[in-house]
Amino acid sequence: MTAVPSTRLHRPPRPAFAVGMMRWLRAGSNLEWALAIISIVGLILLWEYARPLGVPGLENVPPPSEVIRASAKLLSSDIYWQAWGLSLRRVAIGFLAAQILGVPLGLALAMNRTALDTIFPVVEILRPIPPVAWIPVAIIFWPTRELSVVFIVFLGAFWIVLLNTIGGAGSIDVNYRRAAQSLGSMPRDMFWRIILPATIPSIVIGMAVGMGLAWEMLVAAEMVAGNTGLGYLLWQSFEINAIPQCIVCMVSIGIAGFLSSEIIRQLGRYAAPWQRQQ
Amino acid sequence: MSGSSIWKGATAEVVVDSLYKSYGDEFNSKLVIENCSLTAQKGRFTVLIGPSGCGKTTLVNLIAGYERPTRGRISVDGVEVRAPSSDRLAVFQESALFPWMSVFDNVMYGPSVQRKLSAVQAKEESTALLARVGLLEFRDKYPNQLSGGMQRRAELARALINKPDVLLMDEPFRGLDAMTRQLMQEYLTHLFETSAQTILFVTSEIDEAILLADTLIVLSRAPASTKAVFAVDFSRPRGIEIFKSARYSDLKAEILDTLFEEAAGAFSSASRAYAETVEGYALQRSRTSS
Repeated sequence: MTAVPSTRLHRPPRPAFAVGMMRWLRAGSNLEWALAIISIVGLILLWEYARPLGVPGLENVPPPSEVIRASAKLLSSDIYWQAWGLSLRRVAIGFLAAQILGVPLGLALAMNRTALDTIFPVVEILRPIPPVAWIPVAIIFWPTRELSVVFIVFLGAFWIVLLNTIGGAGSIDVNYRRAAQSLGSMPRDMFWRIILPATIPSIVIGMAVGMGLAWEMLVAAEMVAGNTGLGYLLWQSFEINAIPQCIVCMVSIGIAGFLSSEIIRQLGRYAAPWQRQQ
Repeated sequence: MSGSSIWKGATAEVVVDSLYKSYGDEFNSKLVIENCSLTAQKGRFTVLIGPSGCGKTTLVNLIAGYERPTRGRISVDGVEVRAPSSDRLAVFQESALFPWMSVFDNVMYGPSVQRKLSAVQAKEESTALLARVGLLEFRDKYPNQLSGGMQRRAELARALINKPDVLLMDEPFRGLDAMTRQLMQEYLTHLFETSAQTILFVTSEIDEAILLADTLIVLSRAPASTKAVFAVDFSRPRGIEIFKSARYSDLKAEILDTLFEEAAGAFSSASRAYAETVEGYALQRSRTSS
């Protein structure tokens, strides 16, 4: 036995369990996980048991236990999974269309002063109109309801992607351009090897924000103009006063949005590997 | 392999003749360079020294071809500079390595867009150069994974693979810590001595200037013009041992005196940056002479 420094003598020994727990919490991201689980469980418990305390308004909201029962029923029905499939498809098409049009257009506008000065005023007039305000016109304009919903989703993601691409490509450090010029870049090298990769981080940010907006617009459009999908199912549940089912739809949309954002994040890591931590 | 020169050896002379550069329009213009003439001789290490804010960077940008002079002429081997070219490559204080490319791809960029070398040749030369600047193990890293000194060496390699006629360096070691800075100075000296490449190097550090230079040009306060030219004739190969010589002290004193002559004007002019720098020099001067 080595001598114990006197300053440590007065410290009561920690039980082995507590020490192990502390070690586990300090390791890697375990603490983050623990905190996340605690806060989610806490929220559910609060929701379940705050009702008898008489929080105003809460008596009309079904408790988690009822929601879980409703979700068991809903999750076993085809309608629910069909709604998932249709909503996912609409977001995918609208979002992809926004990228396919927004990214090249943004790059073209950023590189061509005349085009920017011509087209940007139109963008600035149309952009502040909330996509939801487009719903009536979209319904009249597009031949099917399906297309009008997809169009609203597209609008939700389009502006932010366009603006981020213009902003990103327009603010490339002049030193990179100059270095590339000096090293003998042809215009196509300049575009593919300098401007495009330098803009990717901004494009990814635009995509992440755009994905969130796409889901928001989807739900609004499905509620107003749709006859299928998670947003529609949510509204229909409300109309027949099936509130637990409503909440299941809400949580489902939340999960769908989270998963979509996660995909964008992973895509961003893959597309801009130099931005990863060392 | 290590003995063979990676630099072309065939280098060029840069002549700046009665150069003027001003910004702004005819009603509100700011003159940055005024009647500046200087020569960077073929195969020699020319250092421009002057305080920050005196127009050195503008001068480098003009020689590199990023900007056009208001009046006057810049020529490389008699050919007028009109646009950027891989014959005149610049290394700046801020890293301009492309952050989205690995170190190796950065070095390969010039050859791959110029398409003068075969892919195999370009790869061989990039590898050799990266070995030469001590970055071979870091070839697959991204620039932001390198230290400041490594980034500067990578940038040097990216420039050198194109065998430029002139290498322009604008305070490339500024912002590096003292130790790294000294290592980089010694490194560049060695690189120069084994190649005799024309180098035009800009700095505001007087010791750095003397250590590196064959020819040292002192610029005036803004608007910049050539104030004085000194021949720095320490034999090569040289190293930091020159700091101990009497010749070094004499030269440094002489250069500082030249800078002092500008001081009166600097205090009366609006150039605060210059005045501060001269105060700094005054401090050095008193240390050197004591």
